[in-house]
Amino acid sequence: MSKKHGKHIAIYGKGGIGKSTTTSNISAALAEAGYRVIQIGCDPKSDSTTILRGGNDLPTVLDTLREKSKVKIEDVSAVGFGGVLCIEAGGPVPGVGCAGRGINAAVELLQELRLFEEYKPDFVLYDVLGDVVCGGFAVPIRDGIADRAFVVTSSDFMAIFAANNLFKAINKYAPSGGARLGGVIANSIQAPYAQSLIDDFTQQTGTSVVGYVPRSFTVSQSELYGQTVIEAVPKSEQADVYRNLARFIDENEDSVIPKPLNGPELKRWARTWGDRIFEVESGVVHNMESI
Amino acid sequence: MAHHIEGSRNSCALHGALQVIEAIEGAVPVIHSTAGCGAQHFLGVNRLNAGSDSFGGPPVASSNISEKHVVFGGSSRLREQLKNTVKIVEGDLYFIVTGCSTEMVGDDIPAMNKEGRDQDFQVIYANTPGFRGDVHQGYQLAVKALIEQLPTLGKAVPPKVEGLVNILGIIPHQDPFWAGNLEELGRLLEGIGLKANLLFGYDQGVSAWQKLPDAALNVVLSVWGEAPALLLEERYNTPWLALEGLPVGSAAGAFLRQVTERLQLDAHRTELFIESEEKRLNRYLASLADTYYRAGFQREFALIGESAQVVGVSEFLTRTLGLLPRTLIITDNPPEESREALILRLTTLLEGAGTELFFSEDHGEITDLVRNSGAEVVLGSALEEGVAAELGAAFLQLSFPLSDRVVLNRSYAGYRGAATLLEELGSAILSHSYQSRRILQESY
Repeated sequence: MSKKHGKHIAIYGKGGIGKSTTTSNISAALAEAGYRVIQIGCDPKSDSTTILRGGNDLPTVLDTLREKSKVKIEDVSAVGFGGVLCIEAGGPVPGVGCAGRGINAAVELLQELRLFEEYKPDFVLYDVLGDVVCGGFAVPIRDGIADRAFVVTSSDFMAIFAANNLFKAINKYAPSGGARLGGVIANSIQAPYAQSLIDDFTQQTGTSVVGYVPRSFTVSQSELYGQTVIEAVPKSEQADVYRNLARFIDENEDSVIPKPLNGPELKRWARTWGDRIFEVESGVVHNMESI
Repeated sequence: MAHHIEGSRNSCALHGALQVIEAIEGAVPVIHSTAGCGAQHFLGVNRLNAGSDSFGGPPVASSNISEKHVVFGGSSRLREQLKNTVKIVEGDLYFIVTGCSTEMVGDDIPAMNKEGRDQDFQVIYANTPGFRGDVHQGYQLAVKALIEQLPTLGKAVPPKVEGLVNILGIIPHQDPFWAGNLEELGRLLEGIGLKANLLFGYDQGVSAWQKLPDAALNVVLSVWGEAPALLLEERYNTPWLALEGLPVGSAAGAFLRQVTERLQLDAHRTELFIESEEKRLNRYLASLADTYYRAGFQREFALIGESAQVVGVSEFLTRTLGLLPRTLIITDNPPEESREALILRLTTLLEGAGTELFFSEDHGEITDLVRNSGAEVVLGSALEEGVAAELGAAFLQLSFPLSDRVVLNRSYAGYRGAATLLEELGSAILSHSYQSRRILQESY
């Protein structure tokens, strides 16, 4: 692997959890701070960078590869908000082909095209789909690609489950040079217990939360306009939340190899939280706690 | 624990299926995989079968998929390949077989097969990725597809034949003498008034496979024929007779008696036929007697081959010819339950002889076993040539891969096959004695 250009960050998390929104806002915040940023969407849905480039069409790497024998970076990239270079890996239609191999092929092609040497980015953000279901989806955290991975999660059990799976993958690849975990981004914080639940999960797994992103109307509205919060409502509190996240990623290089919970441990842990939430909702008082 | 296998003689499931298709006249294989799968089949299997090769060798139709077919799915490439194949290669049956990559991706083969059918192509398919098993499982997968899918093609059904017997369990090429062995077994069954359905080789086309359900009996010559026999029993209620090994020499008589009993045939007729065959073989044995004693045929031997061959040949060499089995190595990796049956079967042969029986497909391990056996005669594949020379042993190639002879319809089964085996083993021993004497004379 040739010398690395910039910091390469992979962002994972369960489908629909807000990865692309979070990633795009971090990219926008980094760009706003004056950095050269590339955001690569690693998802066959190819909608990772939509809100960075006003919803315009962008041919994906794999679609272009399918139609042309020779692909140029200009064919598959668009410059979005703040100069962020947007790329979508693309992939097959649902139910056909192998999306995992697609990610592998797209990342290989971008390396062959000397994207990083030519563009000289300060940051490259890989927005990777859903759960790490097979080898292909672990490509960005394998040796020589991303240095650090962040996971976006809400307090929903299935999101925690997906985060735990990513921890397993990092645990497997990190010792042989793969990415380590930068931290957990707690997203859509709304329920009163959400923050402590995610905090507890990170404690159990030897990881930490790098930022709490509250559930926000501003985000939804900005998305409807095809923009990031940084672009649409730069003075909002929510924009500052993302700016803080970006600053953390920029200034803090700490990373860990997480200690994922195994199946029964995770279920046990979830059950204790189930009990706690039930007690909170039904007002159970333990041992004169209220006195 | 996982271990490596050096120089395996068992190719993969895709190749097993191709070997089935290529041995059926008028059947055209269409590979849906990367280009190497077909090329490897040619280099690793066809090239090692001098004279029993399907014509044309490498130009097997193949979709030769590339990365874009892996990422986006390769079904459309298969659709195109099937259409092109039907246009270019004339055949009675087109048979789609798949390799590892297309199965990993999950290409919808049944849908492409159905599309072919809708265009009136005579097409069937089998999912045969190499990771499903070796050449033996490939044989089973292809035969299963033929049993299940041929009747759905709407082909005109050939007239029913009385006293038909299907022969199952011989894998073309994996048994280098498959064509000759089938012909000899067919001749024997016809000798007792039956009609053999050989399924592979000369004049064995798709119609032979259409006749499968009509058989009065399925004869199973190796453990690999059991799954197809069970399927035919389930579908058509056909009884089956399992032999575990090729009947060589007098064992052929016992085989014919079993068939006679199962089908309640005229026992007198069978005995007359066996008698005439035995007489002829005995005549050959008698005329060999002088040479047998002069050249010292009664030697210790090591035999390396597929289970059916090891059973048939070792029983003949031991019981009829009086050779001494030192080491028997079964290379076709039979399933655990079949191993027990094989051990049981060969135990009576081994008792008192200090014979050792091994199961291995590892070339290194096999070489060590043969080397340590101290055998005076080695019967195995081309891979055992080196260790036979090391031992200074007489050497005869009889299992896959075979490199030193052209095989057209040579057989090592039945009565005629026993005579051929006598000729060839005898020649190997004589030539070995002659070479040894010459080396001895030259050294003085």
